[in-house]
Amino acid sequence: MPQDAFSNRVSSLTNASRKFLSDIGAWSRVDESRVARIEEMQVWDGVSDASITFNANEAGISMKDGHAAYMTTMTENLNLQRALIRTLDSTSGVNIIDNTKVSSIVKDTENGGWPIVHTSSGGTFRARLLVGADGPNSPVRKFAGIESYGWAYDTRAIVATLYHAPRVEGLQNPNTTAYQRFLPTGPIAFLPLSSTASSFVWSTKPAIAAALTNVDGQILAHMINAAFRLPEVSLRHLYRVIMEEQENLTPEMILEEIRWRERSHSIDQYSAYSSYATEALGVPADDADLVPPVVKSVQEGTVASFPLRLSHADSYIGEDERGARTALLGDAAHTTHPLAGQGLNMGLGDAQALADAINDAVLVGGDIGSRTALLPYTRSRYFENHKLLSVVDKLHKLYGSTLPPVVWARSVGLEVVNELDVLKAAIMISAGSNLGSLKERVGRQGVSPWSVAATGVEIAGGLVDAVNLVGRTFQGTVSAGLRSVAESMERR
Amino acid sequence: MNPVRVKFIREKMLEVARDDGLDEEGDSTENAKILSGLDVLDIGCGGGLLSESLTRLGARTLGVDASASNIAIASLHASQDCALQNSTLSYRNATAEDLAKETPRYDVVCSMEVIEHVDNPAAFLRSCATLVKPGGHLFLSTVSRTPLAYLLTVFAAEKVLRLVEPGTHTCEKYVKPSELLDFFRSPVGESKRSWITNMYDGIAPRREAEVRGIMYLPWKGAWELVPRGAFGSTECNYLFWVRKPMPL
Repeated sequence: MPQDAFSNRVSSLTNASRKFLSDIGAWSRVDESRVARIEEMQVWDGVSDASITFNANEAGISMKDGHAAYMTTMTENLNLQRALIRTLDSTSGVNIIDNTKVSSIVKDTENGGWPIVHTSSGGTFRARLLVGADGPNSPVRKFAGIESYGWAYDTRAIVATLYHAPRVEGLQNPNTTAYQRFLPTGPIAFLPLSSTASSFVWSTKPAIAAALTNVDGQILAHMINAAFRLPEVSLRHLYRVIMEEQENLTPEMILEEIRWRERSHSIDQYSAYSSYATEALGVPADDADLVPPVVKSVQEGTVASFPLRLSHADSYIGEDERGARTALLGDAAHTTHPLAGQGLNMGLGDAQALADAINDAVLVGGDIGSRTALLPYTRSRYFENHKLLSVVDKLHKLYGSTLPPVVWARSVGLEVVNELDVLKAAIMISAGSNLGSLKERVGRQGVSPWSVAATGVEIAGGLVDAVNLVGRTFQGTVSAGLRSVAESMERR
Repeated sequence: MNPVRVKFIREKMLEVARDDGLDEEGDSTENAKILSGLDVLDIGCGGGLLSESLTRLGARTLGVDASASNIAIASLHASQDCALQNSTLSYRNATAEDLAKETPRYDVVCSMEVIEHVDNPAAFLRSCATLVKPGGHLFLSTVSRTPLAYLLTVFAAEKVLRLVEPGTHTCEKYVKPSELLDFFRSPVGESKRSWITNMYDGIAPRREAEVRGIMYLPWKGAWELVPRGAFGSTECNYLFWVRKPMPL
């Protein structure tokens, strides 16, 4: 791929994940010129503008690799996959069978119930341990008869690679700040890849997502700029415009619309919040670091969207006779909303825990497919992942509301956390930002900062449900209230 | 319980290898085939759980059990694992006394949770001791004869929780660690040397014998080795290791 072109599938790796990749010798095979280290994170509320800044320096993260302190590393999935495949190639005892599909998985009922995998090329494998790292629709999970529960979010995520002007050297931070704005329709995130290219994820309602992926790239670029800058009420208007006028909408029309809105909100032409900012030269506006750089264009062919779902398998290892000798990890075990950028990191955490469990079993002559050998894996990961899935789910719901009491409560919460450096550092460390915390994370017992954070969000989430219900009833939409009761009952 | 036993065997074998100057660099810590080339006997193998593990660690293993049905179960289980089929694992329906009359001797003899079920433990221990090659190892595990052991293994496990068939254990047959240590203080078997030369405050020299408590941790759902010398650690389940001296 050319140096300035980037794949639209990117992932944010926590420092814990990155250390794991270094330890197994994969990180040295990643093309470092195509990764971006995120030093700061700017998160704000799309309704109230309450904001929080996470900065790697403030969190006391110290790097041993000579880079400035950073929280996460953005990589294209392709870059990482290539590195992992090269690592496997150079590992003895690993056989990669490619260009082959699994045609069926059956149980060897005659001989102790081991799983037998048949491949499209006619191969047959009797597996001591069958690891299902085969995605959200995992055939291994189906074979093992492990149920998965969860729900689809009424949301699609749009991704694309964006081009923008570089930040002004000396006057601005380099492009190492990630931005995320929580809009009621879902969060939009800006994720730096290089000085002039960044990726973005915009989770929004399916109808809006359909319109946004349908329109001209230039219109999408204007919409992305607006989504990070304009007040929520104007965004709602813009969504309507692009949904209604998809066919004959031109970039000029949408820009005109945006500028009219800016004038009505009295946004200063010279501020970073103005769409004129692209044309400004020289000294950047004072507030330029508060919003991402203005997107100039969208890389051709990178606009895509996918549905979002929360799911969690009932178990990570096959129970009883049916699922003997199977283990699930990654998306096969759990899927999450991308707002926290934790999907891949959870999967890597699983991989590490499973490898540790297998290693421990081998050292005591254990059968690596046995329940005894796999139990430590599920013990160390299931609850850990569950907390994270739950927090992310609650955050999505918390920020999906526009009800004033909810907005007030979450904004106060965010601003308070923003002032409490210790709590902020704790959140970041537990989110895997700190290099040193990996070992502790794996073998940790007792109270973790995540569980503290999880409890907090859990309570907030419960409050939102309650306030939502009361709010709707007050508004006279009793039926909606009853529906939400029914929904929440169904869920439980 | 099996992983913790093998872990103890593993740690002990590594420690002895280091003491003997065979593993000065400590390279074997991550070695999966720690028992490579050794003849290992598992007395009272039951379903073969331990025997299979020992075989995977590289041993030429013979599992024996006094019950023919246990041997059938163990053989069937091993036959389902193709990695064990052409290997060096075999089973026989025999007792320690039977084997002691034959010639083969073993580098490692294990007998886990057996001694508390035999009628004449001294004779059983003599047979086990005879089966060990000079310089070889004897590993035992059993339950100590203490009020705590009665409470946990008989009262709780058998009478209350019914995890174990009532009547499996008889508290009078339990063996205290000190009794095992005493047994090996006097010459045992054909060698005219005692296996444990001296005792220091109830503790045997590190290179000759060791008693190590194990404990079930419900919150971890697993058995763990209790740290050496922890208070009351050998009051219930424990592992015992003793090394047969070289002839003079």
